[in-house]
Amino acid sequence: MAIDGRRIFARLQSVLGLAVIFLLAVLFSPKSGAGDRIFLEAGNLTDILRQAAEIGVMALGMTLVILNAGIDLSVGSTLALAATVTAMVLTRWKTDLGQAGHIGLAVLAALAACAAVGAINGAAIVSLRIQPFIVTLATMIGIRGLARRLTDNTNIDLGFGQDVASTFAKTGSDKTLVVVIFATLAVVCAVILARTVFGRRVKAIGDNERAALYAGLPIRRTRIWVYTLCGLLSGVAGVLHAAQNHQGNPNAGISYELDAIAAAVIGGTSLMGGSGSIGGTVVGTLILGVLTNMLRLNNVDSNTELMLKAVIIIAAVWIQQIRISPLARRKT
Amino acid sequence: MNHQVTRRSAVASLAAMLASCGGGANKDTGKKQFFVAFSQCNNAEPYRAAQNELLTRICSRSGDIRLSISDGQQDTSKQIAQIETLILQKPDLLIVAPNERAPLTAVMGKAMAAGIPTICLERDIVEPNYSAYVACDNYAIGKMAGQFIVDQLKARYGKPRGKIVELKGLLGVEAQINRHGGAHEVFEQYPDIKVVHEAVADWLQSKGRERMLEILRAQPEIDVVYGHNDPMAVGAYLAAQELGREKQIIFVGVDGLGGPAGGIKKVMDGVLAATFYYPLAVDKAMEIGNRMLREPGFKPDKKYVLSSEIITKANAAEMYQKLTF
Repeated sequence: MAIDGRRIFARLQSVLGLAVIFLLAVLFSPKSGAGDRIFLEAGNLTDILRQAAEIGVMALGMTLVILNAGIDLSVGSTLALAATVTAMVLTRWKTDLGQAGHIGLAVLAALAACAAVGAINGAAIVSLRIQPFIVTLATMIGIRGLARRLTDNTNIDLGFGQDVASTFAKTGSDKTLVVVIFATLAVVCAVILARTVFGRRVKAIGDNERAALYAGLPIRRTRIWVYTLCGLLSGVAGVLHAAQNHQGNPNAGISYELDAIAAAVIGGTSLMGGSGSIGGTVVGTLILGVLTNMLRLNNVDSNTELMLKAVIIIAAVWIQQIRISPLARRKT
Repeated sequence: MNHQVTRRSAVASLAAMLASCGGGANKDTGKKQFFVAFSQCNNAEPYRAAQNELLTRICSRSGDIRLSISDGQQDTSKQIAQIETLILQKPDLLIVAPNERAPLTAVMGKAMAAGIPTICLERDIVEPNYSAYVACDNYAIGKMAGQFIVDQLKARYGKPRGKIVELKGLLGVEAQINRHGGAHEVFEQYPDIKVVHEAVADWLQSKGRERMLEILRAQPEIDVVYGHNDPMAVGAYLAAQELGREKQIIFVGVDGLGGPAGGIKKVMDGVLAATFYYPLAVDKAMEIGNRMLREPGFKPDKKYVLSSEIITKANAAEMYQKLTF
């Protein structure tokens, strides 16, 4: 009973952080001409969901990686690769597949490329025995170069016409679609993590690699899959990025890896591995989203915005670490 | 077969390199080969990619110029190191697009001291350590954009009044400061013209879109969006389109690059009402450079100021032809 109570409280803690930020946003919201709070308008609230979706999808993959006691710094560059590959296939390839087929091909090509990047990350980490930080730092640099090389440093525009590229941009930037993709992927990841053998292995290896080794868990294979999934999810974010911004920009996603890590960490995932949840990461993503929206609706100076964000990230993580009583701390 | 061809061409280009390193005559034609080095501050920007493309075209057209472009990757110390290496190679002409003003002043002085004709592009350095400086005037562009916006507002309301949203480039960059300053000098003459929201979107279309979504929520009335570059203005258009407000707003950008992703195409598509051409400058630099290389008595002016040009629907197609490579 007591344990259950504590667990529920721990769950509530990350939601509590979100609730506090939400209340602040309501409180400080500018008002429209009719006196309504702009923050609470349905359009604005769904904007937040949609804007959070890109980082959110990346953060799902990042959560798997961090739970596995790893880190993936290459997700921002991978997002740029997905965006440029999508745009290239759409604008430069000719197919007989019709618009839907052509779009499918572009998305597939982008996702395959990004999953491959993830698989390379994983393979390099397990077979060369180099730390994830260093391997993914290298791919972060290398994949950025690849994306720029593919496009000759230019943006590939998706246009405003009726052709396949414009159709892709129009459909792919639909708010409902973007939010539904994020929600679906979150549910899928949560189920994988909590209900499958693979999910248990991801956490077990991250919690105690030596014990996992002695227990005979397939550490190498699991790890490669974790990074592949992370690459794939960054690819999804990249495809959405391309559609929403009407372009494949090789410089997209710079420093997004930090936002993805922040979302996971604010959501209670421990950088030491083994502890955390997808639900927490979704809450973490929303905390960042609501926070950004609140500051920008109020036209807060952009440098002040960065400083406030820093304070709130620390506060959000700190709130989650508070234990109910000294007794609880001794027990755990 | 393929291998042979590549190997042969590799040998040929190596031979050409050696020949030009000797600074001497090209054995095949007996004509002198010129070595032109371009120190670019950052290849990974569409504007600079267009510069590189244009310069490569101009040089290859002349037939006797070997061009080498080095990429400073937006890192001043890297660019300084690259210029130091270039000085040792003794190019016949050095063109520099400085990443930052002050730190590059000294190394360009070294190039001049080594007797290398040096042309400085766009950004002025602190001391005049160059043979010629090809300047683009962002403040003047800001003023032109400001005047265009005022004229549009007069046309809309019969008098100069209205609400403007400004999307700024990366803070502290010269282009951002002057494109802002020039436009505001014009706006400030009209008390009923208000800049109701200024947001920083770091030159990016994605950030322009993100910021604009929130601005549209907070500002029920917006007449004009002024983006310090075209992609940010296009991003704002995308946001407005989503809320069905794109028809009520006039979108204005700066840069006017050619090609399908450039701002001129966006004017043709009716997304932007206008953009202002920010000169690529390398064509002017090579015009001066070619005379320096070929006319022994030629002394260039110390400074050439390139003028901008407004691009609207009226001249977009023509400019697109001219500026698409």
